[in-house]
Amino acid sequence: MEREAGAFVLPPLVVGIADIMRLKRELDALYEYLHQSALRHTPETELKLPKTSRVLDELIKANKLDLLKREQYELVMAQLNAIEQRAPQIHLSFSSDPSSAFIVRIVEWLRQNIHPGVLVQIGLQPTLAAGCVVRTTNKQFDLSLKHHFETARPLLIQKLQDGAAA
Amino acid sequence: MTIWWLALILAFLAAAGLAFVWLAVRIGGTQGGSPSKVSLSGSAADAAKEDVEHIFNDEFREELRNRGRLHFEKIIGENAMFLQQDLRLTTSQLNEYMKTEITKKLKEEFDKYEQSIMDAKQLAIDAIEKTNAAVDEQRKRLGEELQNEVREQKLHLIKHFEENMADVVNHYVLSAIGNQIDLTDQLEYILAELEANKEAIVEDISNGA
Repeated sequence: MEREAGAFVLPPLVVGIADIMRLKRELDALYEYLHQSALRHTPETELKLPKTSRVLDELIKANKLDLLKREQYELVMAQLNAIEQRAPQIHLSFSSDPSSAFIVRIVEWLRQNIHPGVLVQIGLQPTLAAGCVVRTTNKQFDLSLKHHFETARPLLIQKLQDGAAA
Repeated sequence: MTIWWLALILAFLAAAGLAFVWLAVRIGGTQGGSPSKVSLSGSAADAAKEDVEHIFNDEFREELRNRGRLHFEKIIGENAMFLQQDLRLTTSQLNEYMKTEITKKLKEEFDKYEQSIMDAKQLAIDAIEKTNAAVDEQRKRLGEELQNEVREQKLHLIKHFEENMADVVNHYVLSAIGNQIDLTDQLEYILAELEANKEAIVEDISNGA
């Protein structure tokens, strides 16, 4: 799926709705700090921006933002609000807690192939053994090894019968 | 029939006894009776009377009385002997009859008792045979029910096993190598599965609420 030119880009580190809300809180805090500094007439040379999170850094880098400009701040907040309200969400369940790199790979694939603004929620389902379960708005896709065994049940029965006959 | 014979003999003996009694009384009445009232005239009558008294004096009378007594006693003795013989015979016949009758009755009762015992035995045998047949039938039915139950249970277990075979194998795999399965190793598999279901996911997201 091709990305539209000039569209707001979500970096892969921004995985789910919790990251969006965390970004919004961080941006609010940053804007509040800049606002307080402007009220105190602090010179820009003495202005020390608080340390931002890696997720916010990635967001700024991906969209080439200058958060010292108010209009860009408002643009980012509007985009984040829109994403929070309208972005499609996908729930993924794995047998164990996935690593960040793994999640990044999955999110990258989903945003390249499914939807550029899709948000992912990670769940845990230890009985899966291997694979995952994908739950979208209306459907559930069982991509687990258990489901694979269920579809291959005739083969298992045939093998058991062959073993019993032998 | 024998009862009637016995009664007839007893009646005969009673009649004979009564006849002897009547004879003895008659003889006694004749000897102790009043003198003849025949009126005889004169001395002839007296002479005759004297001769008679001379012939039938007290000694002769006593002799006659003794003879009659002895004869009577003899007859009584003979009859008593006959009566005793008859009584013995009757008693013997009566004993024989009673023995026969009692034996017959006892035999009949024993036959009835034996027949009753045989009937009861037959009834008991029939009841036991019926009970055995019922028990055999019940055992056979229970055996068939048990076999059907076992067959159904077996089919149910096989069906349940086949239905949950995926869970069993999955649980086995999870228990056996669950700790060795790394999500990173599954990344290609998961991406391939996502690729295979990509169109359905995109369609659901596009048409989602």
